[in-house]
Amino acid sequence: MVKEKLTLLDRQILNRLQEDIPLEAWPWQKIARELNIKEAAFLKRVDFLKKKGIIRRIAATFNPKKAGSVSTLVAVNASPLKADIIAKRINAFSEVTHNYLRDNEYNIWFTIVAQSKERIAQIIKKLKQDKDIEKIIELPAKRLFKISVSFKI
Amino acid sequence: MLSALDKKVISLISQDISLTGRPFREMADRLNISEAQLLGRINGYKRSGLLRKFSAVLNHRKAGFIANAMCVWNVPEKSVARAGRIITGFSEVSHCYERKRALGWNYNLYAMVHGKTKAECLGAAKKISQKIGFSDCKILFSSKEYKKTGVKY
Repeated sequence: MVKEKLTLLDRQILNRLQEDIPLEAWPWQKIARELNIKEAAFLKRVDFLKKKGIIRRIAATFNPKKAGSVSTLVAVNASPLKADIIAKRINAFSEVTHNYLRDNEYNIWFTIVAQSKERIAQIIKKLKQDKDIEKIIELPAKRLFKISVSFKI
Repeated sequence: MLSALDKKVISLISQDISLTGRPFREMADRLNISEAQLLGRINGYKRSGLLRKFSAVLNHRKAGFIANAMCVWNVPEKSVARAGRIITGFSEVSHCYERKRALGWNYNLYAMVHGKTKAECLGAAKKISQKIGFSDCKILFSSKEYKKTGVKY
């Protein structure tokens, strides 16, 4: 497993970077100081963790609602043999942000974040016309209880 | 309302920020504003809740969390708030939402459960069922990730 190859410092860096970075002029220097290492050493290690693909990106995530976007969760039942092709067609919509194959009658699950409800309806309408998709359900959120994508590494 | 400049800022900071000493100055240069102005805006977004988090997005599989399951429960409306609050306390859960039910899909409470093994996820789901007192539950492991991107603003 990759995890075994992570050093203690790597884990400290990953745990720290899953929290907010300092929103100030020299953010890396500040984090490096917290971790008791030099900024250059910190940046080198972060670069390594990125190259390994463990860190996908360091970026801002927004509350889509407050940013004027609308989001929803959608599931379709695709014939298992065609799932990969259908997923590709779904992914072609830039508004699709996450998409997973799951073990259920509804096997392709994806989220859409779009500029308007109308745009979401339009995407779903188009997918309904796809002859390989028999059933499609839309499951918009009514209430958010938790969103905290940080893991103790 | 978001101004044209806000939209540009949001678009820029939702992409990977650079591993250089003063990453915000670089971005500010691209936007033709000062570093202080940019940081002022970003801190403003944070205060208003528009900016959820400015942090590393990890590839959980590569960080050792290879199993993830979307667990869904059918919970009567009057009990959803209590159940949702209970689920929030589970460290294995990254997201928890109440969602609209769909025709033929009676589940309305959703939790993303992460673990180092499938067994860990199953164990967490079982504990959740016991604690919330509802066991009409489905556990949908993901077998493939087709897409995972940030929202494009």
